[in-house]
Amino acid sequence: MSSKKEVLRLEDICKSFPAVQALDQVNMSISAGEVRGLVGENGAGKSTLIKIVTGAYDKDSGKIIFEGNEIVRNSPIVSKKLGIYAVYQDVMIAPDLSVAENFFLGNQPKRGLIIDWGKMYEESEEFLRDMELEIDVKRNIRELSVAEGRMVTIAKCLWQEPKLVIFDEPTAVLTQNETQILFRIIRDLKERGIAVIYISHNLEEVFDVCDTVTVLKDGKLVGTYTVPELESVDKLIPLMVGRPIEEMYYKKEVEIGPELLRVENLSGKRFRNIEINVRAGEILGVFGLVGSGRTEIARAIYGADRFDEGKIVVNGQEILVKRPKDSLSSGLGYLPEDRKNQGIFPQQDVEFNINVINLDKVMRAGIIDYSKAYQQAQDYVDKLSIKVGSVRQRLSELSGGNQQKVVIARWLCKNPNILIFDEPTTGIDVGTKVEIYKLFGEILDQGKGIILISSYLPELISLSDRIIVISNGEVAGEVEKEDFSEEYLLRLAMKNILNKEKVQEAV
Amino acid sequence: MAKKGGRRAFAERNLLIIIIIMAIFLSIATKGNFYSWENISNLLRQSSINGVVAIGMTLIIITGGIDLSVGSIVGLSGMTYAILTSNRGEIQMSSGLAILISLGIAALIGLANGVAVHDGKVPPFIATLGMMTLVRGLVMYVSSGRMITGIPMGFRQFSVATFLNIPALAWIWIILAIFMSFVLKYTMFGRNLYAIGSNKEAARLSGINIRLNMYSFYTVAALFSGIAGLMLATRMAAGVPTGGQGYELDAIASVVIGGASLSGGVGTVFGTALGALIIQTMRNGGNLLGVDPFIMQIIIGALIILAVFFDQYLKGRREG
Repeated sequence: MSSKKEVLRLEDICKSFPAVQALDQVNMSISAGEVRGLVGENGAGKSTLIKIVTGAYDKDSGKIIFEGNEIVRNSPIVSKKLGIYAVYQDVMIAPDLSVAENFFLGNQPKRGLIIDWGKMYEESEEFLRDMELEIDVKRNIRELSVAEGRMVTIAKCLWQEPKLVIFDEPTAVLTQNETQILFRIIRDLKERGIAVIYISHNLEEVFDVCDTVTVLKDGKLVGTYTVPELESVDKLIPLMVGRPIEEMYYKKEVEIGPELLRVENLSGKRFRNIEINVRAGEILGVFGLVGSGRTEIARAIYGADRFDEGKIVVNGQEILVKRPKDSLSSGLGYLPEDRKNQGIFPQQDVEFNINVINLDKVMRAGIIDYSKAYQQAQDYVDKLSIKVGSVRQRLSELSGGNQQKVVIARWLCKNPNILIFDEPTTGIDVGTKVEIYKLFGEILDQGKGIILISSYLPELISLSDRIIVISNGEVAGEVEKEDFSEEYLLRLAMKNILNKEKVQEAV
Repeated sequence: MAKKGGRRAFAERNLLIIIIIMAIFLSIATKGNFYSWENISNLLRQSSINGVVAIGMTLIIITGGIDLSVGSIVGLSGMTYAILTSNRGEIQMSSGLAILISLGIAALIGLANGVAVHDGKVPPFIATLGMMTLVRGLVMYVSSGRMITGIPMGFRQFSVATFLNIPALAWIWIILAIFMSFVLKYTMFGRNLYAIGSNKEAARLSGINIRLNMYSFYTVAALFSGIAGLMLATRMAAGVPTGGQGYELDAIASVVIGGASLSGGVGTVFGTALGALIIQTMRNGGNLLGVDPFIMQIIIGALIILAVFFDQYLKGRREG
């Protein structure tokens, strides 16, 4: 039976990053034996909140009270000592050690100086048997399936006798059966008076396993509700999205012209039968949850990754895309989501970063004319009002927003017919966002097309002419402007995650 | 607009200052002997072979890799030339053709390095370590571990030839260094090198053909070692089976002292040339001052560590 003893209380937690207020006075309290769902859109602040509880981030202000005592200086080590454990999306165990070794890591039973292997195997085996998991404890983690590895991670957490366990999207790689085992484990934790925080995009699951649900939105607490009080998923979604659209979105209306790009029946590793088309002067929005396959689709179209089947047609002609060079020369451009790892050349200067795909304009007989190269870079620095000391400044010395502008400048200079923007405004301050939206208008004015991938619905709704929703690797729907609503789009995005019956009722 | 600046120039300026201070110190300490033209031209000649190897090494280190096979390639190229041309051997090929073949073989070995690193995904350290051993074994095998003498007279005399009072060997180094400096700054080849070295994935997404470029970097690096091997052969007037042994270390040291970063993306041929000069000036000065060569070795070792330490320290400061 669950007692009412409070395990964790958060008081007025605030956290801001250079450009965004990630958490704004969030309050929350969890009792022993309570299973709490934590839901919200991408960027609502769920991960930040968890990282503050586990000590991975420092809070700006507010209090963390654990079992009645305030944690003044939190850190991953402190929180673990107190009994707070998080099971993250990525497996965080040593892949080349056996299951048993992972359990006892840093704390191996010894007989004198020698590790007592027998005891290690025996105890870990027994523990897994109690959890009804049939995994050979002598095997290395690397030899296990992804789901098995996941279950071992969870088991390792429980092995440490936690007081609060945080699950962050735990079922993403689990099979139906394993999900059921996980739910049973969670109920077992509840019985034992352990508090659980459960984060998932799968709201059905949240309803299945949680007692209470806390909703976050834009870093603010919307509220905490009991599951019976919410009744159904349909009542939860409006709480997650209901916000007036801010007046910051500038959308230039341009007459829509002929089709520029058509993708037919594209299938690859994480997506199937994708059909997309973009017309001149149009912004095609692409919406999907994290892991839905939206980035993979964009990368396949651009030739960054291989795809299995399908056709890419540019200006009525099929193009063969094997590598980015092919799509570049066919007039496609792609601004990657991961600026740091895929976008910038940090040790090189602004000129280098802008001109990397635009050297043809400043070369004569195979030799770069630097006066032209610097001028070309300077022109775009001025045009986008990028804040730099000079075009010879190294990119690593610029702020994230200015780095992003440099990458955008690179593409504006290249001036492709179709530009794919993958999350172009993440981690960027509001002022820069508005400037980027204005640049979209200029691109459209020239009769070009834009594919805008974003998980931020207000942005997508205000800027797009049409929105394609990707759910679990498939097109869940194509939504025309008059039907745009956050609720509807989010429901489509969850279409292949929710069970089918519910979708029929909901949509 | 053309404001001279940037960190690279900063590193080079520092190196120049170091060299000047060393030169002044040495000329005082040796009562002007250091400044004798004979000594300076000797210094340049001694630096030139390592200098040429280090140009190739610069390319590889800018990619974020390392090439340990350069010393063995130096040995192989010199040996190939000697075997092909020796008047005591059976082939007695013309000098020009032998040079082409020696360089061609060196280039092929570089290409193999490139294939192993890019397609085989073998870490550059391991791939070139293996190649170092393999190629040295090859040199030993084809020469039966013996020196091969009897190479053409004209080729031998090249090592003592001078032009404008500067040794011909030094000219080769100077011309190659200027040429590669230009290539790295002003051509697509150079820009691709820095792009791939700074961020390979971003480079790929920018339409740069990574495979082709990686092949060419390793091939060109080996080609420079091949040239250095021929330079060594003319100095030694023979193919020496142990020729070039340990050269990879001097080359890496020159590149690192020259301001390149082992994590890639940063480095210049000019900086490397200064690095090579610093190492040789220290050896030369130590000689003139009668410093124990073993002590010199200790000092040079410490200098390498200091150079990298300084690089990391600056990087740490930049990244806060």
